[in-house]
Amino acid sequence: MAQVRTITPPRWRQWSAALAPWLMLLLALALLNAEEVKPRAVMRFWPAWAETGTLAVALTAIMLTGGIDLSIGSIMALAGMTLGLLWRDAHWPIAAAAVAAVLVGGLAGAINGALVVLGLPSLVVTLATMAFYAGLALAISGGERISGLPADFCELGRERIAGVPTQVCLLGAALMAGWIVVHHTRFGRYLFAIGDNRTAATFAAVPVRRLELALYLASGLVAGLVAVFYTARTGAAIPTAGQGRELEAITCVVLGGTLVTGGFGGIGRTALGIVVLAHLEIALQFADQLKITLPGSDSPWQLTGQTRLIILGMLLIAVAIWNQRARGTRA
Amino acid sequence: MSRSFPGIAALVDVSFDVAAGEVHALVGENGAGKSTLINLVAGVLRPDTGEMLLSGESIELGSPVDARRLGIVTVHQEAELFATLSVAENMALTVGLPRWGGVLVDRGRVWREARRVVAHLREAIDVSRPASRLSVAQRHLVQVATAVEEQARLVVLDEPTSALSAAESQWLFAQIERLRRAGVGIVYVSHRQDEIFRLADRITVLRDGRRVWSGPTAETAPGRLVELMVGRELSGCNAVNRASTARESSDRAARNAAAPPRLELRGLSSAEGRVQNVSLTVRAGEVVGLYGLVGAGRTELARLLFGLDASTSGGILIDGRPVRIRSTADAMRAGIAYLPEDRLREGICRELSVRANTVLATLDRYERGLLASAARERTASQQQLTALGARYRDLEQPIGELSGGNQQKVVLGRWLLSQPRVLVLDEPTRGVDVRSKAEIHRLLADCAAAGCALLLISSDLPEVLANSDRVLVFRHGQIAGQFVPGQCMPAEVASAALPPNAAPTIPATDSAIDGARAVRRPIRRRVPPSEVGLAIGVGALAIVLAATADNFLTANNLRGLATGASVWTILALAAAPVIIAGGIDISIGAIFALAAAVGGLVMKLDALPLATVPAGIAAGLTVALGAGLINAALALVGRLHPIVVTLGMMGVYRGLLSLLTGGQTIHELPRAFDSLANGRIAGVNGSVLVLVVTIAAAQLWLAHSVVGRHLYAVGASNSAARLAGISRGRAWLVAFGGGALLAGLAGLLQLAQDGSMQSVMGTGYELRAIAAAVIGGVAISGGRGSVIGVVLGALLLSLVSNALVLWQISRYHHDLVVGGLILTAVLWDLVWRKFER
Repeated sequence: MAQVRTITPPRWRQWSAALAPWLMLLLALALLNAEEVKPRAVMRFWPAWAETGTLAVALTAIMLTGGIDLSIGSIMALAGMTLGLLWRDAHWPIAAAAVAAVLVGGLAGAINGALVVLGLPSLVVTLATMAFYAGLALAISGGERISGLPADFCELGRERIAGVPTQVCLLGAALMAGWIVVHHTRFGRYLFAIGDNRTAATFAAVPVRRLELALYLASGLVAGLVAVFYTARTGAAIPTAGQGRELEAITCVVLGGTLVTGGFGGIGRTALGIVVLAHLEIALQFADQLKITLPGSDSPWQLTGQTRLIILGMLLIAVAIWNQRARGTRA
Repeated sequence: MSRSFPGIAALVDVSFDVAAGEVHALVGENGAGKSTLINLVAGVLRPDTGEMLLSGESIELGSPVDARRLGIVTVHQEAELFATLSVAENMALTVGLPRWGGVLVDRGRVWREARRVVAHLREAIDVSRPASRLSVAQRHLVQVATAVEEQARLVVLDEPTSALSAAESQWLFAQIERLRRAGVGIVYVSHRQDEIFRLADRITVLRDGRRVWSGPTAETAPGRLVELMVGRELSGCNAVNRASTARESSDRAARNAAAPPRLELRGLSSAEGRVQNVSLTVRAGEVVGLYGLVGAGRTELARLLFGLDASTSGGILIDGRPVRIRSTADAMRAGIAYLPEDRLREGICRELSVRANTVLATLDRYERGLLASAARERTASQQQLTALGARYRDLEQPIGELSGGNQQKVVLGRWLLSQPRVLVLDEPTRGVDVRSKAEIHRLLADCAAAGCALLLISSDLPEVLANSDRVLVFRHGQIAGQFVPGQCMPAEVASAALPPNAAPTIPATDSAIDGARAVRRPIRRRVPPSEVGLAIGVGALAIVLAATADNFLTANNLRGLATGASVWTILALAAAPVIIAGGIDISIGAIFALAAAVGGLVMKLDALPLATVPAGIAAGLTVALGAGLINAALALVGRLHPIVVTLGMMGVYRGLLSLLTGGQTIHELPRAFDSLANGRIAGVNGSVLVLVVTIAAAQLWLAHSVVGRHLYAVGASNSAARLAGISRGRAWLVAFGGGALLAGLAGLLQLAQDGSMQSVMGTGYELRAIAAAVIGGVAISGGRGSVIGVVLGALLLSLVSNALVLWQISRYHHDLVVGGLILTAVLWDLVWRKFER
């Protein structure tokens, strides 16, 4: 048997890894400052980012076990369309339709969980269901959005509670709940054990399968809930809603420092990751006006919105590599 | 030849030498250091100190490949195979694929060699069958046969006969004789005394990582050898302590006889005969030792008991009540605890804290309401670990930082916290220092005194004898004998565990073993390759379409189908190599568009009036290749999962794309470029021509080239590939680079067909390409897939799309149908894998 050895990385690396998200936040704030963006303008983007953040909370729990859920964006679309269709065509009261939407999200998540428990890699399962649920949302909608939802329902997505948008309140609640579950319950303890060493967790009588089923179910429920808030905010059920949200949510989790391979990370990190990514994205959205003149160069270098994807992609990889290194390598 | 290497804790200052034309037997109990020694010779491990000499020259082995290059061939006892590849290819990969013209695999020779080797065997083995479908015995036989056929200077055989029938062993002995006459040095590791005395010129006995005896075979005898293996001090000890031990054990025996039976097993059996009809009773406070060779059924029995494997028949009773155990959680609820054999893999979560590891199995006891209480967990683990005498700096430090003995105490503590009624310990003191060892032994006694029933699995005979009330010896999945320590000679126990010394020539044994194997052999059916099924599916769909849709067979529709399918097929072929090599690239959709954009922009440059089209194509392909290589390099250097890398790079490539095009549509390309795709050469559409050439090239690459076959090897088993000297890094560079190149080609083809492109081109294509590959039979887990299958998969997807259009199904249902197909493919993959196993 080949010996597994852990090479403990130097302390400064662990330090710098913890520091990385804060530096990026500083960068984002500096950019916003340079562009003279008003806090009020930044706040306008917050509801949308809070929705993504809520997805990221559930995703963190899954990624702690070394799994992944790529289908959350598609589940959002499916749940949103369920809500719209039940209200318009089946004449359900909007509240009942909303509950049904959340449950449909849960069902979709449960299907993911069942397939994962059968022994398929979560990546493959959710890649497939991502296409399937998105296709289902498009098919049941016939490609059209359903607008004209009751005004008092739409208030749910646009209102403020004590000056805070409802989505941000939802994110806050999700972070709190996630933090308690992940860091202060038996369930949470099991997540880390599975992510660290799945075999050893099984040998320690951890109910790995039941746990995974619950995780993907929860992820689906959260996606359904987010869909309700999103639908309320936009005032319409949109069949292509949620596209690309899964990637944003994954980026939040990875930027925060949770390892893709599982076993290390947490909700607090993801909270930071959400704030960092949101502000970076917002800053880059305003970046069209930003010109930076590099020393020794005549023409200013202009940061455009198109650079956004490049910067985010490279940041994602750089941070992921840095975190992996900081946690030591197994040779 | 002489070699010496002291060092690693598992091996202390051992010198060992083999002369040319000599069989040198290496014997010792499990864990005596034989495997370590073999791994050093094979280049799997490096010695901490000491040196190796080959023919008088000092050598340094950095990897198994170095060893092989020097003519050292090793057959490991439980070596991994490339499960998805054919037997013939497995044989060829372990010795290096025969080349034809330097680049291509000489497939004829692969088959010829394989058939030649197999022809010597009595058992008919179909070398075209995937290795995963061989029985354990057949796998081993094939490996041994491959090794002895090779041109070697030194052959190391680790338990070569453990899975062979008598006749096969006879064949092997003849081969060894042949090698010896040819001047090859042979290291022979075996537990079988008869074989050793028949084959070996010299014998070296290892015990606890030290050489305890070495000399010519003639100077020793079977009984003496067992004594050497087990340890002389044991018999000495026993003589002195026998009186007291006997008295004590008879006291305990009397006490135990009065105690109620805690654990009863009735006729327990497992699949494949690993455990056969085992019945035993353990009373409260009794320690029953299970002794035997590795694979004799002890660990296998423990796995049944702990719900890790399913039993096929028999029952388990705890305190007289039958229990059903289907999971580890069930086992724990029934009061069974299991200290696993492989601490690193099965015992500890190495990055988690000492506390988290200690309380892992009993977390429900420390909750306050619904919440976990770290304070209670700390108190409980501290108490337990103090009682066990575990040494650690801090309860919150990662357990990986502790020594082996202390890690073991933590895992033991984890189970003692669950207050088990039955405690199964599997090699509890393996790799543990002497002091911890003694402490663990004391703990076992305490545990038994508290009324727990203990099963002690150990290959360390003195340990078993000193700590058990009774010893059961396992052999071939059955209980082969029962002994009471103090009332028997250690050598008796040891020899009961060894295979019967019957000469292999006795036909009765032969047919008995063969008979047993015949019963165990699973029923095999020939599954038609998935390609046949796919081809039928594609054909059927085409016929249905022709019958139901009037406009299917129109020239217009067929042309549209052909051009569309050509792009899709090439893109699916782009996705396949990476997946086959065990990775995944979800940036191919972005690379597809990026290559098209770069190609298109270069063609519109005025600077190159004449060579614009070739320059554009070259630029597009170069950019694609570069992107693929960057993906692979980042995944390898950053040790990141390819999905994270390609997810990030997908954004980067898309960003670059919009930077380059400025969001503008690229159009008005040179006519020559357009005609490449839409023109006709000898009546054949340009796109179709490109497709055919690409398929041929991909087939040449994946099926016939050495680098292509190495992708399969790496995807099938990275560890086996490493042993065979195939680097995953190189394979991934080739796979990602080649895949991206094909994606770029598909992008350029699409651009030529359409004559224009927008920057959103290819969004979501990666998913459909991966789906087509999976539908075509590429295993997402790696190692399996064929070009023809992928082509058929892409064709099926294209036909389905065409059908949806022709049947005038709302285009909003298209994604659903495609999504459903992908899901079906994934499920199919699962069913297929279950079947293969």
